[in-house]
Amino acid sequence: MCEMVMRSLTPSTPEELAEGLAAAAAAGRRIRLGGAFSKSSMGGPISDADVCVSTQNLNRLRQYEPRDLTISVEAGMPWRELQNLLAENKQMLPLDPPFASQATVGGVVAANTSGPRRRQYGGVRDFVIGMTFATLEGKLIQTGGMVVKNVAGLDMGKLMIGSYGTLAAIATVNFKVIPAPARSLSFCRRFETVDEVFNARDEILRSVLQPSAIDILNPAAAERIGQEGWLLLLRAGGNAALLDRYARELSGFETIEGEAETALWQSIQEFTPAFLDDYPLGTVVRVSSSLQQMKLLAGTLSVPLVARAGTGVGYAHFTKPEEAGEWASRSKGQEWKCVIDFAPESHKEYLMLWPDPGPELATMQRIKQMFDPNNLLNKGRLHGRI
Amino acid sequence: MIPEAAKSKLIELLGNRGYLDRPEDLVLYEYDGSVDKHRPDMVVFPRSTEDVVAIVKIANEYNLPFVGRGAGTGLSGGAIPRAGGLMISFSRMNRILEIDLENERAVVEPGVVNLDISLAVQAQKYFYAPDPSSQRACTIGGNVAENAGGPHTLAYGVTTNHVMGLEAVLPDGSVITTGGKGPDCPGYDLTGLLTGSEGTMALVTKIIVRLMRQPEVVKTILAIYDSAEDAGATVAEITAQGITPVAVEMLDGVMLGMVEEATQAGYPMDAAAVLLIELEGLREAVEEQVEQIRAACTACRAREFRVAKSAEERELLWKGRKNAFGAVGRVSPFYYVQDGVVPRTQIAPTLRYIQEVSERYGLTISNIFHAGDGNMHPIILFDARKPGDLEKAQRAGEDILRFCVSVGGSITGEHGVGMEKMELMSDLFSDDSLEMIARLKRLFDPDCRLNPGKMLPTGRGCMEIRQKPLVPGSFVY
Ligand SMILES: Cc1cc2nc3c(=O)[nH]c(=O)nc-3n(C[C@H](O)[C@H](O)[C@H](O)COP(=O)(O)OP(=O)(O)OC[C@H]3O[C@@H](n4cnc5c(N)ncnc54)[C@H](O)[C@@H]3O)c2cc1C
Repeated sequence: MCEMVMRSLTPSTPEELAEGLAAAAAAGRRIRLGGAFSKSSMGGPISDADVCVSTQNLNRLRQYEPRDLTISVEAGMPWRELQNLLAENKQMLPLDPPFASQATVGGVVAANTSGPRRRQYGGVRDFVIGMTFATLEGKLIQTGGMVVKNVAGLDMGKLMIGSYGTLAAIATVNFKVIPAPARSLSFCRRFETVDEVFNARDEILRSVLQPSAIDILNPAAAERIGQEGWLLLLRAGGNAALLDRYARELSGFETIEGEAETALWQSIQEFTPAFLDDYPLGTVVRVSSSLQQMKLLAGTLSVPLVARAGTGVGYAHFTKPEEAGEWASRSKGQEWKCVIDFAPESHKEYLMLWPDPGPELATMQRIKQMFDPNNLLNKGRLHGRI
Repeated sequence: MIPEAAKSKLIELLGNRGYLDRPEDLVLYEYDGSVDKHRPDMVVFPRSTEDVVAIVKIANEYNLPFVGRGAGTGLSGGAIPRAGGLMISFSRMNRILEIDLENERAVVEPGVVNLDISLAVQAQKYFYAPDPSSQRACTIGGNVAENAGGPHTLAYGVTTNHVMGLEAVLPDGSVITTGGKGPDCPGYDLTGLLTGSEGTMALVTKIIVRLMRQPEVVKTILAIYDSAEDAGATVAEITAQGITPVAVEMLDGVMLGMVEEATQAGYPMDAAAVLLIELEGLREAVEEQVEQIRAACTACRAREFRVAKSAEERELLWKGRKNAFGAVGRVSPFYYVQDGVVPRTQIAPTLRYIQEVSERYGLTISNIFHAGDGNMHPIILFDARKPGDLEKAQRAGEDILRFCVSVGGSITGEHGVGMEKMELMSDLFSDDSLEMIARLKRLFDPDCRLNPGKMLPTGRGCMEIRQKPLVPGSFVY
């Protein structure tokens, strides 16, 4: 959040954004950069800053050609507004990020947040087809374009996705969009043990079914959404005959539709924000692992775990920061990787947020150095390491 | 020239069968699938990441430029050693290291041929989605460098959407690993940055790729038209209707004749264009889509709509498509393939413009392309023996690409900028943006030894190459 004491900038054009950054950087001012600052507890600690730059007034639609399935917007556009624009044309960007009602487009991209339908549709990196970003030198850099296939030049947009604003400020983003399926149906099944639920998942993965979401909740997570046991949750979209087919093949599952379905996925998408509301010391570890490793990890966790079980990302929700730190540190030297995604500000300084960055951290630091030699921009926000 | 001391170190490292340096061998490595040429001074064949590291260190010690090479099928001159020096061929690093179906992953060396991954897992009903038309020959290393696409990338995404992690040797000889078997690995997405960097920033030595489950049903449709623009309009209609085929390929009349003569795939000889459309998924979804596509094609005046009845019929249609370049080679030994992209609503106007260009230059231009994502491949036929014909073909190609840019598109959808479209990059990107690309390149390769003289307009790259490399290629597939 921009505090009163800070000089705050709310540019309303990409050029103003670039000029603002350049002026601050030239004066050696430390810069805090964000959209709506909905995810301040996410990522590394918020360092002291002299200037606060928000993209919230940079919020226009630049180009939308529904017949081409592409859209270009400014980074400060509220995520919800983008969803609404697309919905008017029966289109969607099924990223399902948390904090969806407060987040800006730029924030979703910079924090690389996503949700359940990731299994079928992919994450932020799979939707962004172009971008402009403003550097501390005051330059507006373009990458990609407005077509769905494009290899002209380096894919610099990839660097910005998940960068937590530590390199440059995303000014505009171009996405490819997806036609929304005619109907949607979801399925839920409860299991007694971790083995049973993951075996059922394996069966789905091996089958011809193509659910858009394959999530597993452990009993502690299930309890938080008013359920019990190990839950396997699936979602499918398409025509009536197709959904009937899903219902037939998934006969052991409870089907969920209509408002109940919307509410269910809403509670999954916003699981982490709700948890953090309930537990001021809540600390969330994000795991990236293979699909099978996810099962082994799930077995070691008693705190609420929401696993994108068909993708390989899991979110473990701890109420005690120290426990989260201890658990995250087990990833050292392992094939799976993790970071502490969310932690109370007061604990971020001493928690090892990114326990095992590996030798490639050196390359990342050199990239940071190139964009921001004096380490002025969002210092430490990349999990405390950059 | 390679100093003798460097050469003996390389021979000591790789053995007598681990290199080539006789002129008669080197000529085979002076070209790729594009029209440019330049001979390397020595070709080396590493067998491991350690070999690659050692080679790079020797190159650095003796200040030699070096370039990676897969199968040499690239269409933008990516693997051409403009500055001479060492060519590092990955053809002996061609092992599939791990097939991990439970995790939907495979780990491969860069020299593995694209199709071999799918062949290795097809019995278990999995496949590797990016399927360049050259997939029987091109390598995964080359695919990663170019961020290759293919007919089915319309639905499944291009190479970058299927590469989860890399091991790479940087130009200073250090080794980095990026990504992993899981997604969202913390930190900057170096995997994404290196994929599509056209072999100018790192040599990739290991790749973790995503495997997908084969669909239940595949349907292949041939829609036949009396006007190429109607076929183009159909693509816009399919997109606008939100129908999601996995592939929509277009062949125009000129191409149909050549393909049919070479392959006897069952394409009509008298049509102005066909669309080859593929649908995949669960039976219930595919059945509905066949009808939706039929309606879209009919609305856009298709004269005939055929659904392939058997696997053989389907294979044959695809064989015709994938061997198209070979078919062109039978008719014209010289041709120049372009790779512009346009928004899908602009396909029909672009086809009209290409026709105008063809008439203006008096050159036959044939179209075969990934229509579903707007990726045009006009093939310009010329005769290099006729003075001025190559230059005419290149000017025609540039006109077409400029048109693509003017309607909001791009100069390359999958073949890369390489040394062929470098000068056109300024049409697409501002000076500042080009400079940023150059700075990232220099960050990885400060001495500019890795694949110099590519991707950026002359004078903007890190090294000026004064020698003009362009020699008309005489290539037949
Ligand atoms: C008939 C035909 C059809 C084609 N169809 C398609 C198509 O449908 N879609 C498509 O995308 N392309 C297509 N292409 C282009 C070409 O096949 C692709 O660009 C392919 O990815 C090149 O692979 P390769 O192994 O031949 O690479 P090469 O041509 O040998 O090299 C290409 C680039 O990769 C670099 N490189 C190779 N290996 C490595 C490595 N290990 N590390 C770092 N850099 C490396 C080289 O330096 C060079 O810059 C086609 C080509 C032909 C001839």
